[in-house]
Amino acid sequence: MATTALRAQVAAKWQESFNRMNKGGSGISGLMTFSRAWEVATEFLRPKDISDPASLRQYNLVDIKNAFAAVNQARRLPVMLEVYMDDIRKHQYLITREVTTYMSHYEQLMDPEIIAKLVLRLVEWYDAWAPIPELGHTIRDAYTLTFQTHLFSILPPSFARGFKALCASTLPSVSTDSVVDARPHMWAAFETLGLFDRYEALIASVVYQHIESHVVKTCAGQWAEPVLPNLRDWMSKKVVKWMFSPYARGAKTMEDAALMLQGPGQRFDFHMSKTLCDLRTREIFSIIIDYPDSMGALQDLKECLQRVDQRAELVRTLRRANEMRLLHPGADTKDILTQYVSTIRCLRVIDPPGVLLFKVADPIRRYLRERPDTIRSIVASLVGDGESGDSLVDENEPIHPLQQPETEDYTDPNWEPEPIDAGPDFRANKPSDVISTLVSIYDSKDLFVKELQVLLAQRLLAVKDGNFEKERRNIEILKIRFGEAALQVCEVMLRDMTDSKRIDQHVQSQHASIMHPTIISRHFWPTLESSSIVMPGQFEKLQAQYAKEFSTFKPDKKLRWLPHLGTVHLELQLEDRKVVADVAPLEAAFIELFSEKNVWSLDNLIPRVGSVDRSSALKALATWLDLGVLKEDTENSFRLLEVAEDPTPGARPAISRPGATNFTKNPYLAAHRACAGIAPVTDDLPPASSIHQQQAEQMRVYWKFIEGMLTNLGSLSLDRIQAMLKLAPGYDRTIDQLASFMEAARREELVMTKDEMWRLNR
Amino acid sequence: MDQLTSSLAPPRNLPKSTITVSPPDVAGSVTKRLSNELMTLMMSSSPGISAFPKSDSNLFEWVGTIEGPAGTIYAGLTFRISISFPANYPYVAPTLKFDSPCFHPNVDISGGAICLDILQDKWSAVYSVHTILLSLQSLLGEPNNASPLNSDAAALWDTPDAFRAQLMKLYRPPSDTSA
Repeated sequence: MATTALRAQVAAKWQESFNRMNKGGSGISGLMTFSRAWEVATEFLRPKDISDPASLRQYNLVDIKNAFAAVNQARRLPVMLEVYMDDIRKHQYLITREVTTYMSHYEQLMDPEIIAKLVLRLVEWYDAWAPIPELGHTIRDAYTLTFQTHLFSILPPSFARGFKALCASTLPSVSTDSVVDARPHMWAAFETLGLFDRYEALIASVVYQHIESHVVKTCAGQWAEPVLPNLRDWMSKKVVKWMFSPYARGAKTMEDAALMLQGPGQRFDFHMSKTLCDLRTREIFSIIIDYPDSMGALQDLKECLQRVDQRAELVRTLRRANEMRLLHPGADTKDILTQYVSTIRCLRVIDPPGVLLFKVADPIRRYLRERPDTIRSIVASLVGDGESGDSLVDENEPIHPLQQPETEDYTDPNWEPEPIDAGPDFRANKPSDVISTLVSIYDSKDLFVKELQVLLAQRLLAVKDGNFEKERRNIEILKIRFGEAALQVCEVMLRDMTDSKRIDQHVQSQHASIMHPTIISRHFWPTLESSSIVMPGQFEKLQAQYAKEFSTFKPDKKLRWLPHLGTVHLELQLEDRKVVADVAPLEAAFIELFSEKNVWSLDNLIPRVGSVDRSSALKALATWLDLGVLKEDTENSFRLLEVAEDPTPGARPAISRPGATNFTKNPYLAAHRACAGIAPVTDDLPPASSIHQQQAEQMRVYWKFIEGMLTNLGSLSLDRIQAMLKLAPGYDRTIDQLASFMEAARREELVMTKDEMWRLNR
Repeated sequence: MDQLTSSLAPPRNLPKSTITVSPPDVAGSVTKRLSNELMTLMMSSSPGISAFPKSDSNLFEWVGTIEGPAGTIYAGLTFRISISFPANYPYVAPTLKFDSPCFHPNVDISGGAICLDILQDKWSAVYSVHTILLSLQSLLGEPNNASPLNSDAAALWDTPDAFRAQLMKLYRPPSDTSA
């Protein structure tokens, strides 16, 4: 039971509400006015089915406004809003129906135009249901929210796809120049429905894809010229134009528009740079191959890398490509070097401080260090070897002395710290001298100088006409690079050549000889392959005679003959013909022996010329077989053909044919003008043993030490052996080299290993 | 404090400087000689003798190996010896002793000491590890029974079968893990 007080309170409230609605009108006339206004307003706000023409009516906006004002005065607007929203919710099925129809249609045809129609239709619905602006933001916003919430909840997943296709269709086509109508009203519709905010990422992705396809299509493989300016031009002409509708909507002035476009424009420009950067990164290996024809691409890449931080990616890609395409046994050392030099030049363009280069170069350098012929190739290109044609060194490049890695000069006012992404052992190699970089692959330049001597020895011995100007020039060039002192030995070698000419002239003046040796100083020349050929007969006499003359001329020196390195000019007087030939000394020695008797077996021939191995003996005899002077009757039995026989090509007569062999007269053998005691043989093997062979020779010394320590100290670990080898003079191998050496020794069953301990196999 | 530092610092420095200057020069030339000898020994291929420093840091202590020369009673046996060089080598002979037990008239069976004239009064600086080892190897086949260190062995020398039996009884092949 309510108390009196409560009753009074309720009555007071009632009275107050009544007064508010009635507005002091007589009786309930105020109330009547309000109820009329309410009805008009709600009728106006009630959502209508726009596809049903019957429900559409024209309203007198003045009445409506008055009605709303009345409702507002009575402070019943919030209640009316609730009713309104309720109504909308009740009518949402209309929109759902519409969307379903359009979308099923779209799913059948996949035509983005249907989506466009749907969007425009939805805008019609939206406009039809919208409250008048006089009701203020709150109602308008609430309405928009309700409408959009519902709309988004019913849009099927295929809508996003269609929407994307629709956006894409508005972009300027990649292939044609025509500008598609940007359809500003469609973008306005998107905005109205809130689709733009909801699908902004989607729209951006459309643009990104568009940029990507354009970049890839127009720039892939185009390395000669920088493409970035063209791309920027394309961006400003095509893409920015298109961007006005979606991104600069609502802009009143150009300045406004420019301001609004700035954000997305930068994003798109970034994306373009990134795409180009990715593209060039993928292509980097081929770009380097094409250098210097790919200068444009390098410029682009440099500019892109400043905008996009993809340096690590570039390094990774290039390293992978190098590993796959360059650093394998199939690649020629020369090619690897060329590519390395190109890499140096290319990466210097992209990144002048050289951080990228340092990171990329490291595996290449490590690999090159393992190749046996790297030094040889570098040295060959240093002196511009004929066969290596395009020298690694640019002819126009001034010749610098080799740079020593210099310590940082902190007192230099222009000193700059190392780049931020430089590795711990990064060395700034500022100078762009390629040769210094190549030489620095190895820790010391001594190796180069040694190999240079070997190469020079080969080349000097190959010179037949006594013209050493070219070699002299090379040495002078190299002196600038390596310094005077390093090349002193080479200098001596050159001197030897001219000296031996002089000595020879002197000796000849004392006692004319048909022999013209080249006299070299053993200490200054690389180890030449020795041989134990003993020249028989007249050759021996010639040598002895010459040596005698020489020792009277230079009493403190002694000649040691290297007969196998010379050539001999021979005239063979046979019964029916004369054979003239320039041959190797071994060949000459053999044919001279045939002046003693006509038939020789290989086993008898070999001891007569000292010791030669069977295969080179056979090779020497083969020369005479080819010349038709000798004939192999049975295997390893050779007969002099005093009278030429018809060649029986390919067929080796199985049985010795008695025939023209029984002549008693020996052939008159005239060996004239034995050109030189030493002169090059154009053989498969270089006369001077290469660094590699010299290393093998050294390793034999070290093996003695290993043998010694294992004999006395029992089994040792690899580390221990490496440490102990320090006792061997000049030992400079790494433990890896030792390991492979020991492994080789194990294969030859000289040592065995157990639990990582090595011991002799006894 | 003052007292402490002044009393500590100078005595520490003075002997240090005097010590560090002189010995390396001497040690340097000895080390050079020893590494030359090592090189010679490694390069000479005398069968059955070999020696090598115990560690790469100390060239003054070597381990050697001698195989009994063929045709002697010691044929087929391997003996390990240790060689230690004095700091004034080669003016003073190195000390050699058998690590493997060696039953020999001129070798102490328990201590391994060797009685060889060139290692004592006949030593000369022209000898080297190589020549010492060669002498030692020939000593195995031709003992000097006039001044035996091991009189049992000297007594048995003329009865090869008994000698060999005694030799084999005491012989231990060098183990592999001496290092």
